[in-house]
Amino acid sequence: MTELISLFVGMALINNFILVKFLGLCPFFGVSKKLSSAVSMGAAVTFVMFIASTATWIITRYILIPFEVEFMDIVIYILVIASLVQIIELFIIRTSFALYNAFGIYLALITTNCAVLGITLLNARESYSLPESIAAALGAGIGFTLVLAIMSGIRERLEIADSPKSMKGLPVAFITATLLGLAFSGFGGMI
Amino acid sequence: MPSLLRKIYPILFVTLIVFISVTLLIFTESFTSAELQARLQQQVEEELESMFPELDDSVDNEDSEVYTLLAGGETIGYAFLAVGTGYSGDIAILVGLEDSETVKGIIILSQQETPGIGDRITGDGFTGQFTGLNIDAVNFKQDGGQIDGLAMATISSEAVIDAVRDTAMEKVKLIEGVE
Amino acid sequence: MASFAKEFSKGIGVSNPIFILALGLCPALAVSYSLDNALGMSAAVIFVLLCSNVIISAARKIVPKIMRIPTFIVIIATFVTLVTLVFQAYVPTLYQSLGIYLPLIVVNCIILGRAEAFASKNPVIGSIADALGIGVGFALALILISFLRELLGTGGISISLFEQLFNAGSLSFTLPAFSEHPLTIFVLSPGAFLVIGLLMALFKWIGRKKND
Repeated sequence: MTELISLFVGMALINNFILVKFLGLCPFFGVSKKLSSAVSMGAAVTFVMFIASTATWIITRYILIPFEVEFMDIVIYILVIASLVQIIELFIIRTSFALYNAFGIYLALITTNCAVLGITLLNARESYSLPESIAAALGAGIGFTLVLAIMSGIRERLEIADSPKSMKGLPVAFITATLLGLAFSGFGGMI
Repeated sequence: MPSLLRKIYPILFVTLIVFISVTLLIFTESFTSAELQARLQQQVEEELESMFPELDDSVDNEDSEVYTLLAGGETIGYAFLAVGTGYSGDIAILVGLEDSETVKGIIILSQQETPGIGDRITGDGFTGQFTGLNIDAVNFKQDGGQIDGLAMATISSEAVIDAVRDTAMEKVKLIEGVE
Repeated sequence: MASFAKEFSKGIGVSNPIFILALGLCPALAVSYSLDNALGMSAAVIFVLLCSNVIISAARKIVPKIMRIPTFIVIIATFVTLVTLVFQAYVPTLYQSLGIYLPLIVVNCIILGRAEAFASKNPVIGSIADALGIGVGFALALILISFLRELLGTGGISISLFEQLFNAGSLSFTLPAFSEHPLTIFVLSPGAFLVIGLLMALFKWIGRKKND
């Protein structure tokens, strides 16, 4: 159990997907201007990561490894993620329209979000067990949401800040990410 | 009839694309995996020859996964792979033993540690410290061993040390069991 | 031919994928701590971009509309797996240091973006020009970033990729004195954000100067 917790914390804070592994940067710089949309996006990504990690673990363990076709993982995983996102989208439309309004547009973006494919590939490369894969997926997702939320708060203030003209927009967001990354590297000694 | 065809055409098309893709990949894989095996084998042999210059033959004991190294029919040492869990992924280490208790040398075959920090484990300054040590002394100095860890890279250093010591102890039992 | 040149140069300058469009950032940040990585990554991206653009453009009339995106993804994933297998067998050190970022080319916005926006609507020749332009633009940006990061972060430059491939000898130099006390932050992850942020600001500044 302690190992699972340390894996979870490690994925969330130390090997943070955005700041250290640079996965899921498009939503980081694109969506993260409003706190509410950052949290919705983060929640949607975490959920898909969890489902996708479980599904790809089962496929890897019971199909890819027995048939010795692990090299097909990229093709299989991306198809699994794309179909899962479709199924989740259909399911949400049928069950709750309010939920669809909140998450719908983000779901479409998730298929090509490197964070989701990233976590499934990482689980496979590290040959994590099912509980480990799930802990890693949840940790990565929550770390992703956390940084997305922090960044959106900072960017709301940056919009009105008086930065040099050439630095406005993306460049200053990158510099902010640098400082955030430095701050997070302080977690490195935790485990 | 054409309307039925129009309905199933998308499905047929994607199935065909996937089929072509799978065929192409299986073909490529069978080709590259042979190359990969040969390359790994060659790398291990070259590293072993640099560690044991007088080496002329080796016996692969498949049960224990230990190579018995021979020169002119005499056993001059043993070699095996040790795998440690580093800061970011597995570290594969080739370990050479002079006899059943002394380390001849170690070579890091593959690692993915942080560049500039953890990846210093591949340097001679670190791996050289293992040469000539008794297996029991493969540990940090503060833990009663004879190895200086790398500053700022404790996890990476510890992963190598633990993997070498633990695997060596396990393999030594197997080696002694054979003789 | 004129249009070929136009499509090609667009990718390097006005629509440079990294500095202007901010696409494909994840590999640009993650692997750019060494020039070797940058060269390998660029080669892989150009290969995948070129092959998938050609195939998609050639097949654009027979791809069923509703299955467009899945078809593109399968085609791209096939070429990415191909590159992964080849790298694993022939340049194992590079394969290891690129890690999961090599397979992640599949979801690189640049490639799916070009397939959807250009190759699926244009003839093969134009698609080749488009792929090469965008690919070379990506490569130049990646090489510039990794040159700065490696130079500042380790105090020198060393390229050993060609040595592994063709036994051509390695290229390396170090800055005296500086290499003993390099600014390690540049090879660590925050340094990646810093270098790209400053370069983007620089490009914006140059663009503004031109317009004035």
